[in-house]
Amino acid sequence: MLKSFNGYSVLKDVSIQCSGGEVCGLVGANGAGKTTLFKILLGLLSADSGSVKINTSHSKPIGGIVEKPSLYGYLNAYDNLKVFGSIQGLKIDKTTAQQQLLKVGLSLDRIDPVKNYSLGMKQRLGIAIALLNDPKVLILDEPFSGLDPLGIISLKKLILSLASKDQIAIIISSHIVEHLFKICDTLFVIKEGEISTYAPTNKVKYAILASNIKESKVLSNYKTLFDDDRVIVHIEKDKLVDLLKNLLQEKIKITACTPIIDMEALFEKSVL
Amino acid sequence: MKNRILIFIFLLVSYLSFSQEIDNDLLFIKERLDSVVSYTADIDLETDISFINMPRKKAEVAYSKGEDLKFSSDDFVMLPKRGLDFSLGELFKYSFITVLRGKKNIDGIDHKVLNIIPTDRKADFSIATLYLDLEKKRISVAEISTKKNGTYLISLQYEKDKNVLPNLVEVSFEIERLTIPLNFMGKGAKIDRKELKKDTAKEGKIYLFISNYKIFKN
Amino acid sequence: MMSLIQIEFFKLRKQKRTFYALGAIFLIELIVFVIAYFQGGAILDALLSTLKDTFYFSGKLLNGNLLTYMLLNSLWFHIPLILMIVISGSITTEYQDKTLQAVFLQPVSKWKFILSKYIVGIVFTIVVVLLLAITSFSFSYLFFGKGDLVVYLGTLNFFDSKDAFQRLVLAFASGTVSMVFFSVLSLTLGIFFRESIKTWIVAALFLIVFNLLSQLDMPFLAMNTWFLPKLNNTWQYFFYFDIPWIQIILHLLILCFYIFITLIIGVRIFQKRDIG
Repeated sequence: MLKSFNGYSVLKDVSIQCSGGEVCGLVGANGAGKTTLFKILLGLLSADSGSVKINTSHSKPIGGIVEKPSLYGYLNAYDNLKVFGSIQGLKIDKTTAQQQLLKVGLSLDRIDPVKNYSLGMKQRLGIAIALLNDPKVLILDEPFSGLDPLGIISLKKLILSLASKDQIAIIISSHIVEHLFKICDTLFVIKEGEISTYAPTNKVKYAILASNIKESKVLSNYKTLFDDDRVIVHIEKDKLVDLLKNLLQEKIKITACTPIIDMEALFEKSVL
Repeated sequence: MKNRILIFIFLLVSYLSFSQEIDNDLLFIKERLDSVVSYTADIDLETDISFINMPRKKAEVAYSKGEDLKFSSDDFVMLPKRGLDFSLGELFKYSFITVLRGKKNIDGIDHKVLNIIPTDRKADFSIATLYLDLEKKRISVAEISTKKNGTYLISLQYEKDKNVLPNLVEVSFEIERLTIPLNFMGKGAKIDRKELKKDTAKEGKIYLFISNYKIFKN
Repeated sequence: MMSLIQIEFFKLRKQKRTFYALGAIFLIELIVFVIAYFQGGAILDALLSTLKDTFYFSGKLLNGNLLTYMLLNSLWFHIPLILMIVISGSITTEYQDKTLQAVFLQPVSKWKFILSKYIVGIVFTIVVVLLLAITSFSFSYLFFGKGDLVVYLGTLNFFDSKDAFQRLVLAFASGTVSMVFFSVLSLTLGIFFRESIKTWIVAALFLIVFNLLSQLDMPFLAMNTWFLPKLNNTWQYFFYFDIPWIQIILHLLILCFYIFITLIIGVRIFQKRDIG
């Protein structure tokens, strides 16, 4: 995809792909082109060249939220669903509305206008609206921004369950990599309108803290970087548990284990 | 001043030329009119004034001898101040003298032309000219010069030969051009400057179609 | 398409500003009536002063019909000013709140969506004028009674009460077409500017300029017929003693043509532009 505004190139030959049931992350600094790409995918903007292909003949192949969730602030949750549903020919009765809201963890009990909702609730309602008419692809633009830690956790759970239960292809963007790491299967990095790195997020760097970390033998099987009582090890996410078990068997006194995302490294070179 | 001189001359002439002050034919007609104690009638009013458009209006009139004419209407009506008084009682209210002016043929009928000159200062007209239908003993035309309201020409038409009260009264008068405050003029109205500048008085007419008389005579 | 129209009515009904606007309109109507009542007597005196020498007047001219006529004179400026806020707001708010973006994330046809807004705007305008007509007749007849209507349009025209009522109704109907034009114009401006305040200012400017220009006399008759500001005064023609029907129908058809063109321009701009 190529896109320019007033002679300024925002997207230069960008390509991404995502399968049903997969969660893909799009990470990039502010102004890198994430929102523009999403708008093109969602049909709000037209690309100068390139195409969007979605493997479905459904009337609504793709749904999503761009920038902030846009809702009719003077209407309540049910009315919002009704409005967005009706305009695409759906009949939203109370039962259907209840189902849609429960799916995203909201309830019909609140009847006050949506302008009173917290950002987290607005996000959820926005997702419920995006999911109307069962799209095969869901696009979420910076869904975690402005949410508190608990809000982020519950939203991540929701995203994962949507992907696995409904087999929806989900593409999320953020400028904070840590948010995407735990839930994304694939990570795209966009910088100055170009996809500079693409890699499955399976292989991650972890920092393991232990006073006697240097005594470990099993660590020699991995690419490591030692620094006093801390080691940075490259390992696939699903193999981490086994490594930790082995380290514990070696009587290594592990006090912490955190994933490390080196933003600079991520943008400058392929590190994964 | 001019009026006073005129009156004096007439008085002099009439004194010199006639032994009685009021014409006999007029007296007869007056008595005919006086025999009407009261009446009611329906009036249809039509206006013929260049700058007024008004549909035909209906009103009822009630006359009682010695009293003012009473009008009633459901609609808005514009009634000419003169010409309503078909018994011409206003002319005969105060003392007057008559002066014969000759004869005139109107519509094939000979009419006697008389000037009525009031001798009482209280009369509100200065002179009137009556055209009497001698055959049918009634008044056909009256031209009245009022002191304050200009000159009126009243033309009376009768349905039947024996009627003394008219069925059609045509009142002609002079009327000044309207001056309209500009801010009331409708937006669509065109300001015809040439017309506005013409300060000339216009002639207007009102037609009174009278019907359904209920007359009480003595 | 029906569901889009229904939803637009739903949104209109649910917004407080719709009711504020309606309240404002009826408040203005009330104030104009009161002022008209106090002014009416003076105006009648001025109109009829030269006739008082020659005529007696019997009957009440300061009645419901006259007051409704006086209301009509000022209506066509106040009402579009307020209507435009509601109607242009139906699109500018969606731009500003970005709900328009959210709408087109759903499978919705662009031209159907914007056309439904035009339709709802037009229907709303018609309903408002209808309500105004009903309330003004009811109120004026209740408090001031019926009677002849006197109007000055080059000549002093008097109309029977029944005739006056019919003419006033026709004047309301004719004025409705002008109101529809302003509503459609405001929506098109809203599509163009995408922002409330700019839209209001430009729309108000149109209204004011049209009002001023309508006083001008065009040098050629054809220009008079096609000149838009003048067309908005067509309602006045019903108060000429002989109603010029052909002229009126011609004017209204031309006005409908302008409405159509303005609508098409709005739809085209909306279709061509990216929502994002």
